[in-house]
Amino acid sequence: MIFRAVEDTDLISRVRRGDVEAYNLLVSRWEKRVFNYILRLTASPDDALDLSQDVFLKAYQNIRKLDDPARFGPWLYRIAHNEAYSLFRKRRPETALEDVAVERNPAPGFSLDLSLAVTAALDRLNPEQREAVVLKVYEGFKFDEIAEVLGCPVSTVKSRLYSALDLLKTELAPIDNKTRIRGQ
Amino acid sequence: MLSTDSFSRDSFACGRAEALRDFAFDELPAGQRREMEQHITTCGDCAIELDRLRMTTAALRILPDREIPQRIAFVSDQIFQPSVFARFLGSGARLGFASACVLAAAMVVSAWHISPVNGTSARQPVVQVAPVSASADQIQTAVASAIAKTRTEDAQMIQTAVQAAERKRDAEYRGQMVALYENFDVLRKTVNRSYVAQLGSNEGAGQ
Repeated sequence: MIFRAVEDTDLISRVRRGDVEAYNLLVSRWEKRVFNYILRLTASPDDALDLSQDVFLKAYQNIRKLDDPARFGPWLYRIAHNEAYSLFRKRRPETALEDVAVERNPAPGFSLDLSLAVTAALDRLNPEQREAVVLKVYEGFKFDEIAEVLGCPVSTVKSRLYSALDLLKTELAPIDNKTRIRGQ
Repeated sequence: MLSTDSFSRDSFACGRAEALRDFAFDELPAGQRREMEQHITTCGDCAIELDRLRMTTAALRILPDREIPQRIAFVSDQIFQPSVFARFLGSGARLGFASACVLAAAMVVSAWHISPVNGTSARQPVVQVAPVSASADQIQTAVASAIAKTRTEDAQMIQTAVQAAERKRDAEYRGQMVALYENFDVLRKTVNRSYVAQLGSNEGAGQ
């Protein structure tokens, strides 16, 4: 965990008093995470960049409406989630995220087999499962925070995540075993 | 696609499948966490499941985050600046423009509303005096022509003054924008440097 001399909550207080530079620092801290989160949902770097821009603009415009500054992260991701789904509703109202095949970079230092297997396994998940995995595994949110982002109960979040993991375990186990065997 | 119906809450003989998953994701309260740690040492199913969960999440994490292709435009960037009109109102150019407007207004007022001295109009020499023998219609036409000519001249003067003020305003605005961009660039680099330095020192302290 990175130690921060100035916490997000302090920056938010300063932003609310009109300190633009404090918001600049907040953007610097969160832009890469938000970009990658949206990228994993949309599979398009261009869309992810545009939506990230919109997310931070909306967050700036509405930061006074944030009830608890300690929940800035989930609140910001909630905006990102809404922006991504809004885009999909505009473009493909019926199919939404169902057909998104997420393009991912091969991981340096790992076998191409494993990277491809992980990508394929993630693509087999339905959008709700995939987003639960992204928010938990890649973004590291707690269940209650994910529930806040998705606007659903914690029990639903756990259900989506664990059913996704059931599938992913099955999909990835043979590859992982092969990788381990090769490494021996 | 896998439906959420396949999520089985308790497929283990010990009945702790869900608690084990919560444990794997560090979502158990401290007391239950210690209890689960002890349970895993004695339950083969849970130990194997925990191992698989950890391998699965580790496999997922090999996909790296991408670098953002370009930085997000900050609120101090141009697109968040006030409108051109608002910037103009807040700039020194407004003084020049206001002065030109006042001057133009004064000229119009003086042309139309200042009464002639000793009954003689200051503009009288401009008017072509009709011969004594001219008819009333001819005199009226001549007066109307003189008035029209005066109005045209006034309009031209006002237009010239406004154009001069606009040129001056544009020049000042361009200068201010150049200075703003330069200042912002310096500021951005300073903030980025200090942020990177802060990250570096934090990482150093963390180690």
